[in-house]
Amino acid sequence: MRKEAKMGIFGLCLVIPSFLLLSVIVITPIILSFFESLRNESGGYDLSRYVYLFTDEGMRANIVFTLQVTIVSCVIVLAVSYALAVYMRFSTGRLVDLIRKTYMIPIFIPGVIATYGLINLLGNHGWLSRWLLLFGGTLPRIIFDQKGIIIANLWFNIPFTTMLLSSALAGIPNAVIESAKDIGASRLRIFFRIIMPLSYKTFLVAVTFVFMGVIGSFTAPFLVGPNAPQMLGVSMEQVFSVFQEREQAAAISFFTFLLCSLLGYFYIRSMVKEETARP
Amino acid sequence: MSWYFRAIGFRKIFEFLLLVAFVVFFVGPLLNLAVLAFSSKWNYPDLLPRQWSLQWWHFVLQEDDIAKSIGLSFLIAALVTVLSIVICIPAAYAFARIRFPLSRFFLFSFLLTHAFPKMGLYVSIAVLFYKLGLMNTLLGVVLVHMINVLMFMTWIPTAAFRNVHTAQEESARDVGATPFRVFRSITLPMAMPGILVASIFTFLNSLDEAQGTFLVGIPDFKTMPIVMYSIIADFPSSAGAVFSIILTAPTIILLLAAQRLVSADIMASGFQVK
Repeated sequence: MRKEAKMGIFGLCLVIPSFLLLSVIVITPIILSFFESLRNESGGYDLSRYVYLFTDEGMRANIVFTLQVTIVSCVIVLAVSYALAVYMRFSTGRLVDLIRKTYMIPIFIPGVIATYGLINLLGNHGWLSRWLLLFGGTLPRIIFDQKGIIIANLWFNIPFTTMLLSSALAGIPNAVIESAKDIGASRLRIFFRIIMPLSYKTFLVAVTFVFMGVIGSFTAPFLVGPNAPQMLGVSMEQVFSVFQEREQAAAISFFTFLLCSLLGYFYIRSMVKEETARP
Repeated sequence: MSWYFRAIGFRKIFEFLLLVAFVVFFVGPLLNLAVLAFSSKWNYPDLLPRQWSLQWWHFVLQEDDIAKSIGLSFLIAALVTVLSIVICIPAAYAFARIRFPLSRFFLFSFLLTHAFPKMGLYVSIAVLFYKLGLMNTLLGVVLVHMINVLMFMTWIPTAAFRNVHTAQEESARDVGATPFRVFRSITLPMAMPGILVASIFTFLNSLDEAQGTFLVGIPDFKTMPIVMYSIIADFPSSAGAVFSIILTAPTIILLLAAQRLVSADIMASGFQVK
């Protein structure tokens, strides 16, 4: 018993430094910004900063715009990544090997660079429009438009999500799938009855990270997005540094935090279940 | 025509189209930058530059700001990596091997780093740093960079330590090794691939970080991505392309060197508990 208590204290000592760091650079600022967001213009405390989010026309447009971009990006990213992960898991050949070896590289490419490349490629007189000109086609307006932000989000998130899903699919034993095939299950049936149920937890993780990443993103919408309406990340920055309204910026970031926390709740719940099941 | 398609199989065609789409989408932007970097004259609607040259490389490499930013970026990235190893690896070992009160609470608290919109978090941090006098200091910048890496720098090694079989540690104990010896000669080497991947990811993440540095490190700490922001705004796109290549080179080199270690399984363990 005494030895266990000693080990417990030792464990705490190992964890405390990183937790202290976390409290200084994450938890304290979040709490500070929460109180900041409750301060109204006369110095008292109320919800006026949050009321403004829903009453101001421009702000409302920004919120709707952000949710649109986020949801569309999430749906496309997850559909493509799932397809790609399943394809890589169950196919063989040189092409697949090549994709397997390279698909993770974009995760590591700096965001500014990728965005800059996309601007040059997809811009008005960009490379792609020159190639299309050969075949007589024209490119719709992508850069400085909602489409541009979504495409940039796909670029950043598909490799990451595919990586998460691949690791989940690798855990499904071949024997399970082969025995399902032996008794005559169709491909779709195998997908919905075996692959989906065995990987839905990772699916949830992927949804959470894509959602959080897109809703709080800054670089891509800042460089590629339209002037109005804006993504909340950009409008937050503008409210903070151009209009110098710290309280309002805090309210916007807390609002996005609340949006994320809904999803975060399910994510943490499923993780905790997993952790509890550990012997 | 259709007999031809049938002969090589629709599956092959599908795979080929898939690969083309994949390459155009993911490689296209980077390839475009690579071509731009070596061009001196490339007007619309030419498919390829009319003149190739290295003039922008000379230009970029001669700028003082740029050479300085490269050194600074690497210094900061190295500091961030070392500091996060020192702080996070012991915690990861504790999560994997030691029972202690509130361990689950501590493990999941790292999720907070990814749950708050980054811009909002940086803004709040800037407010706090003003009060603490950490604005425009090296320590301030390093701390901001650590936000992004804390979670996977703890979770990936945690998973790596958990994957080491306790039976191996126990048998070493049985033949008389001290706990420290067991850790040094058995647990640590077996968890090394995970720790290395996490460290590389941390290093690259720090090289890439722009928004937080922009807010906290101005005006003295101009890292490569920050210089990139101003290059995009002030110089022709060829200069931006050259600098993009310089900024991407460390990523490619490190990834090639660690190619065998970086697997989806190890990376994924940084974002979920399995």
